[in-house]
Amino acid sequence: MLKTITLLLFASVLQLSTLSSQAAWEQPKLGYRLNPLPQPVKAPNFKLEDIDEYEYDFSEYRGKVVLLNFWATWCPPCRREMPSMERLYKKYQDKDFSVIAVNQMEDEDKIFAFTGTLETQLTFNILLDTKSTVSRNYDVRGLPTTYLIDKQGRIRYRAVGGREFDHPKVEKIIQSLMQE
Amino acid sequence: MNLRQLVQTSFFVSTCCLSTLLHGAEVSIHKNEQSGLLTWTSKDNGFSIELIQLLPDFVRAVYTKHDLPRAEIDRIASYCVYGSILKNTSQQQLTYKVKEWTYTDSQGKIHPVKTKSQWLSEWRKAGITFSWTLLPDDVVFDIGDWQQGFTTIKLPRESKFDLTYTWKLNGVPHSGTLKNLTCPPETIEQP
Repeated sequence: MLKTITLLLFASVLQLSTLSSQAAWEQPKLGYRLNPLPQPVKAPNFKLEDIDEYEYDFSEYRGKVVLLNFWATWCPPCRREMPSMERLYKKYQDKDFSVIAVNQMEDEDKIFAFTGTLETQLTFNILLDTKSTVSRNYDVRGLPTTYLIDKQGRIRYRAVGGREFDHPKVEKIIQSLMQE
Repeated sequence: MNLRQLVQTSFFVSTCCLSTLLHGAEVSIHKNEQSGLLTWTSKDNGFSIELIQLLPDFVRAVYTKHDLPRAEIDRIASYCVYGSILKNTSQQQLTYKVKEWTYTDSQGKIHPVKTKSQWLSEWRKAGITFSWTLLPDDVVFDIGDWQQGFTTIKLPRESKFDLTYTWKLNGVPHSGTLKNLTCPPETIEQP
């Protein structure tokens, strides 16, 4: 039992720090490139609960540009890009834009513990994909993966790996999609 | 001076140990002064691959946190596990398939690298639904894309091997070999 607790503590500390502190220099600088899909693809619909067990229907976001991010608390680049997602959300939340972070296979406690460690309070929706069914429907191979979805509910851009989402070039793309 | 001697020499350097060109690839080896663990990085033809040694206890801790059964945790921790970071550094589309990758042990025997799909197939039989942390094995990288995850090699602790990996840049096949990689030790002696 003691060994398990020790391992769990070890995991908590190490997972939040090792691949980043062990490899502080190794973590790649976050870019800002979003890649356009050759053709827009209809974004699969889903219904997921947030950490307060409130169910969200993705179809209700139709009419908004949505940054749909697949992530987990143990994933270093996922954690690193979160503050930029929050800044972006804060800047455009009153317009036709939203951010949804779809967590993979973690429970409310883990997410709550993680968000409590951030200097930036996350105010966008965090939804729980507890069986990774939504990420499978979006063909997500690794975390983080992010899609930018237009007001018609079509996937227009994709980014695999961490990004700085409040970079001016990303904002320009979002503004362009909001004006369509 | 061969690469192994260079690595040993590099232990006395405080930060990044050495950087050299091997068959056109820019290869660097780094020893983390805090953990004592080694990282190999190779950059070649738009593809960057970085392998970071992970201790078995770290691997056990990761999968304990994800509630895997003890037997499966010990099984993956018995492999040489590396944190791997793969990047498309080109301005073109890049693809890779881990099932095409091989490693050559010190006896010269060539083995296939175990893929995420193979791990997940075994995990499903053990009732495990968790499907993340391992390096995705069949990926399309657009410009600026990158990915990280665990790579597993079945060899004894601290043994040496060469990893041969392949990728395609805009459909054109390329390959590279990271030589004299070292399987992570069981533990690191703290001074």
